[in-house]
Amino acid sequence: MLFPMKILVTAKRVEDPESKIKVKPDGTGIVPEGLKYKINPFDEIAVEEALRLVAKHKGETVVVSIGGKEVHEQLRHAMAMGVDRAVWVNHTGPLDQMAIAGLLKKVCEKEKPDMAILGKQSIDDDQNQVGQYMAEWLGWGQATFASKHESLDSDAEKSKTPALVVGADGKTVKVVREVDGGLGTVECTLPAVVTTDLRLNQPRYAPLPGIMKAKSKPIEELTPAGLGVDVAPKLTVLKMSAPAPRKAGIKVPDVATLMQKLKTEAKVI
Amino acid sequence: MADPKNQSSFMSSLCFGSIEEDLILPYPQMKQPERETLKNIIGSLEQLLKPHEKDFRVWDRAGELPPAFIEELKQFGLFSLVIPEAFGGMGLSATAYSRTLQEAAKYDASVSVTVGAHSSIGMRGLLLFGTDAQKQKYLPKLATGEMIAAFCLTEPGAGSDAASITTTAVKEGDHWVLNGNKLWITNGGIAQFFTVFAKTGGVGERGHMTAFIVTRDLAGISTGHHEDKMGLRASNTTTVHFDNVKVPLENVLGEEGKGFKVAMKILNSGRTGLGGGTVGAMKKLIELSTKQAKERVQFGKPIAEYGLVRQKLGHMVVECFAAESAVNMVNHFIDSGHEEYAVEAAITKVFGTEALWRTADEALQIAGGNGFMCEFPYERMVRDSRINRIFEGTNEILRLFIALTAMNEVGGELKELASSLKGVFDNPIKGFGVLSEYALRRASLATSVVKREKGAFTKLHPAVKEKQEQFQELTRDLAAAVDRILRKHGKNIIGKQFATKRLADIMIDLFVLASTLSRVSTAISEKGATACTKELEILEVFSGQVRRRVKSNFNKIDDNDDEHIKSLADHALDAEGYTWDNV
Ligand SMILES: Cc1cc2nc3c(=O)[nH]c(=O)nc-3n(C[C@H](O)[C@H](O)[C@H](O)COP(=O)(O)OP(=O)(O)OC[C@H]3O[C@@H](n4cnc5c(N)ncnc54)[C@H](O)[C@@H]3O)c2cc1C
Repeated sequence: MLFPMKILVTAKRVEDPESKIKVKPDGTGIVPEGLKYKINPFDEIAVEEALRLVAKHKGETVVVSIGGKEVHEQLRHAMAMGVDRAVWVNHTGPLDQMAIAGLLKKVCEKEKPDMAILGKQSIDDDQNQVGQYMAEWLGWGQATFASKHESLDSDAEKSKTPALVVGADGKTVKVVREVDGGLGTVECTLPAVVTTDLRLNQPRYAPLPGIMKAKSKPIEELTPAGLGVDVAPKLTVLKMSAPAPRKAGIKVPDVATLMQKLKTEAKVI
Repeated sequence: MADPKNQSSFMSSLCFGSIEEDLILPYPQMKQPERETLKNIIGSLEQLLKPHEKDFRVWDRAGELPPAFIEELKQFGLFSLVIPEAFGGMGLSATAYSRTLQEAAKYDASVSVTVGAHSSIGMRGLLLFGTDAQKQKYLPKLATGEMIAAFCLTEPGAGSDAASITTTAVKEGDHWVLNGNKLWITNGGIAQFFTVFAKTGGVGERGHMTAFIVTRDLAGISTGHHEDKMGLRASNTTTVHFDNVKVPLENVLGEEGKGFKVAMKILNSGRTGLGGGTVGAMKKLIELSTKQAKERVQFGKPIAEYGLVRQKLGHMVVECFAAESAVNMVNHFIDSGHEEYAVEAAITKVFGTEALWRTADEALQIAGGNGFMCEFPYERMVRDSRINRIFEGTNEILRLFIALTAMNEVGGELKELASSLKGVFDNPIKGFGVLSEYALRRASLATSVVKREKGAFTKLHPAVKEKQEQFQELTRDLAAAVDRILRKHGKNIIGKQFATKRLADIMIDLFVLASTLSRVSTAISEKGATACTKELEILEVFSGQVRRRVKSNFNKIDDNDDEHIKSLADHALDAEGYTWDNV
């Protein structure tokens, strides 16, 4: 008999990596015009994993996003994939990773999920810190960089088998995770925070009936003040700049010239 | 908009010299909840179609969308777009539907046409004319794709002249008996639901036509093999045969005997789906061409740095923006309940399909020899886009339709006046003496001294003032030209296709320009002119193009080679060929 699970997932709104991202000339941020946004791809993987677990165990999924009204798009996206309901922490303005982890911690205390599954990082600022802070502050177990044994083309993946395995007593979770040079397995007691790596699963697309259903799923609004979290940034972004353009390569006529250039110009040998 | 139903169309008014600016200003914007849903749909659709990008090429070669993929489309819900929520559909507005088809068209035209033929024409009659019982019975199945729909009008002997179909239906007791053959029916081989047009007033009697719902389970229906085509190869196109098919009485769609009207209404309302498709394909081509131009190096530089390549890219952008503006405008007419949009819908079809054809051709040109190679997408997009100018009304037929329909009201007024003021029009000077409102209006148009009501925009942003004035001038010219041509040809205008086409071209240009002007002006009002410099440039280019084309068309009303062209055509027709071969 499987124990029902309540799983909390996150859906951060990030710039679509396929739209052209330009830094403002004064370095205060990026140019918003013409940008497209989407759910953080790592979070989408988290949503997928949560849905698979709940499909197996029964229970409930809740998605959280922090931001202005526009994050409803990402909440609806997750709900169209199948998440049951949403929590929206209404806040505009800059947030650092500690503020985000602080807000999510409070939401977890309120929702009391068995597991929180987050993307290992968000592709906008690539901090890779929120899950870790959260687990620490909640005093929960943590398993970062959850990954899969099999390839994403495997039959297990095609049949949407979850990669996270919850113990028969419903008290622990076993997670395969990416480590330098391979995979490791950890087991932690629940509740726990799991963060997802790229090779965990292939997220489903939301079918149109799912999108229709999502329209009437509830979004609960919370605020940092209501949650009692001080979100004043402790970290300030001073300046953004685009990476320097790469210099064009050159062609050399023969190996001798190559060696010579590597010595005198590139100074690598 | 006071009562949208009682208004004439934007173009009918324009033929009188009146600019009904409230119809087109401000430029329509989608409401937030629908925009949110649409974004989610587009995102999901991308996830569905992107992994198949390589397959589309294979399926084009093979000439079929595999059943498993059609199944995937059904599961996804792509056949439910325009069906009301109450019947299990998405209930999308015309605007959102058209934008969704755009997205599908970016990946594969066969996919967008399969879905489009189902939603835009195959089941449109049921939505527009179906009884509650008919809707209850079929819409839920059409939404899940359990039933795919097809539209069966064309026959071997009846293409543009749809009224000449010979399929018949004869009432016998509690059913109709249907006999006949339909040709080139999109989705013919995979459909379970057919909207079929048949003569119900005996053979040969024009006009007495009725529309029927015919389902695949009825005995006597068969479909031919899948046609081997130039483009849209993976879209299913077959003949459909009816051999003594017994169709229940309750399957009549709309009124008995009103089938021709039903067919025309369906086609009018479905046309913006096709317009949306063309815009999607243009966007995709701009993406492909800009990348190609930056990557390909010749003479030591990316070809994107050469003027002649940039010229093509610049024009593509302008045409896409203009076409998109017009398509959105007509969708807005439909969504706001304005019923007179047939002319404008036809305009978007003609303009969009021709703009896409030019864009596909130039995109292939930018790719050079690669463009000609099947491993690149250009040749397929050229092949796929060619049909657009032929089906859902050929662009020739639509041009005649646009001009004649838009001028109809002017003609009506002329006719009334002609009977009440017999002889007046033979002598226009004397005509002015008669204080008819009409004559005054004409006088003001001709001299532009008297300010004609609604002859000018009042709500455009001052930043587009110069373009506004040019548009107003062209509008006055249009009204004068319509007046002159109608006086000259009277009801014989029907036979004057050269003149009619010129007017149609002018009207097409003016409607697309009006939509573009509205869009740019609205954007400036919202964001300020400095944030809209590119939009202003597009307007500058497009309005310049339109002005020059329209002026040239006006000039050709008197100064043309029509008679010589006709005579040369006669000569070729007579000889059935070219007669100067001197070998
Ligand atoms: C891929 C494909 C899919 C199709 N899908 C469907 C479908 O789902 N359902 C359906 O019912 N039909 C469908 N059709 C048929 C399509 O609508 C017709 O091909 C179209 O209406 C034109 O008819 P036609 O081909 O017989 O050309 P014709 O009417 O023979 O026209 C030939 C040429 O003569 C011109 N012409 C004809 N009459 C006039 C006139 N009075 N004045 C000036 N010029 C004129 C035309 O513009 C054209 O250039 C499809 C066709 C194709 C190729």
